[in-house]
Amino acid sequence: MKQIIIPVPNAPGTLAAVTETLADAGVNIESIEAEAIDDSGVIILRVDAYDTALRALRDGGYRAVTEDALVLRLENRPGALAQIARRLTDAGVGIRSLQILERGDERSLVTLVADDAAAARQVLADEIVALP
Amino acid sequence: MKAPADPICGGGPPPTLSPADAARLDDLYARFEAERDFSIGYPCNQAFDYSSLYRFLGFAINNVGDPFSGSNFRMNTHEFEREVIGEFARLTGIAAADCWGYVTNGGTEGNMYGLYLARELFPDGIAYFSEDTHYSVSKILRLQHTRNIMIRSQPSGEMDYQDLEESLRIHRDVPPIIFANVGTTMKGAIDRIDRIREVLGRLCITQHYIHVDAAFSGMILPFVDDPPPWDFAAGADSLSISGHKFIGSPLPCGVALVRKIYMERVSRSVEYVGALDTTISGSRNAITPLFLWYALRAQGDAGFRRLVDYSLGMAAYAVGRLRAAGVPAWRHEHSLTVVFPLPPRAILKKWTLAPYRDICHLITLPNITKDIIDTFADDMQRSLDNREP
Repeated sequence: MKQIIIPVPNAPGTLAAVTETLADAGVNIESIEAEAIDDSGVIILRVDAYDTALRALRDGGYRAVTEDALVLRLENRPGALAQIARRLTDAGVGIRSLQILERGDERSLVTLVADDAAAARQVLADEIVALP
Repeated sequence: MKAPADPICGGGPPPTLSPADAARLDDLYARFEAERDFSIGYPCNQAFDYSSLYRFLGFAINNVGDPFSGSNFRMNTHEFEREVIGEFARLTGIAAADCWGYVTNGGTEGNMYGLYLARELFPDGIAYFSEDTHYSVSKILRLQHTRNIMIRSQPSGEMDYQDLEESLRIHRDVPPIIFANVGTTMKGAIDRIDRIREVLGRLCITQHYIHVDAAFSGMILPFVDDPPPWDFAAGADSLSISGHKFIGSPLPCGVALVRKIYMERVSRSVEYVGALDTTISGSRNAITPLFLWYALRAQGDAGFRRLVDYSLGMAAYAVGRLRAAGVPAWRHEHSLTVVFPLPPRAILKKWTLAPYRDICHLITLPNITKDIIDTFADDMQRSLDNREP
């Protein structure tokens, strides 16, 4: 079952709004988890209708990150991304794309697309935002 | 040869709309007229008069192909397009003979051209761009399969050069393709080409490419005193400037400008139109080069300097007026983008603004007057006064 990650504002009612959006589209949530990251947060979920969920979230104005990209939780400081790049390079994993998704005062969320997603997942296991 | 009086094939009266359809167009026109003065959040100058060019809309003209190579399709405006490119070359610090370019559909195509050229020159290169970069750049890089790393921005919106240096250090064996913003979308910040080159120099990276997205500020900085280093003279390898933003045009347009030596390396022949086609689109707009040519010739440097002075004055006025109304507005030097905290919903409903997360901006293009700014500032003040404690 594929995972979807949604960066959201850390505000009351956000989780309810996301779940309502999916319910309205007839999507069943298999598992869900939310995590606060400073003023923002992420909702991580698995659903029974992946493409329908992605369409509903897009139409609802949410930025949904598919499982093609890894989402990492990093310290918000210059060079934090560079360190990730270094770890991957040292492990022989090529980066296709490394982009900042959200930036809080203390931490930031980053998306990573690597040549070898499985290897990247292993190298960066301690930084990855994911359902257990 | 004279065109036939009735161009409709087979003769007969020309087709007309039903009264209901004609009324819909009248409604649309009225809506545009009503909205024009409230549209202050997007960089589209509404002040222009190209009416003397409207007669050219009666022809099916097409600028397919490279404007510098000629084409078998002769109903084109390549000659005017070449003059436009020559003028932009002069304004961006490169000799016309060393510059190649064409009139695009807007800033994004110019950015795509620069990044395409960079990728052709450095197929294994990694693109670096700041988090304040326009979202279309991520899209382009994905389309082109160019590896890319985002760099942090400073709170001002300018690239964080320390973060750039740290990231470049790790991949110093791979040619970097630096995407620099000269006027970021939301804050009007400028990534300094001299600072970027300093970083490249410190890391002894000799093979690199710098593309500059000067979509908006590219027609402002040539006309201010002491601009920061931003153009070909500063070390850019390619530039994108929009035509419909500061200059103003009823149709979106812009220019892609590149160092000619690079373009020649990636050019290829497309023989069926008898042209050496190095542009991205096939059929290309032939009327927008005329609009740009007309604006450049009619305004001249003196006219654009006057417009830039006026608009910068309006930006300063807007900052002062909003601050007096209790709104902590600010802007960068040489920027027409006035940034302020996200206003209440009622303001966003009345005014066409560009909100992004917790900020918003207005842009003092040449069509923005003191009256418009005063009305907006008064609305903002009222919304603050009515805010619940």
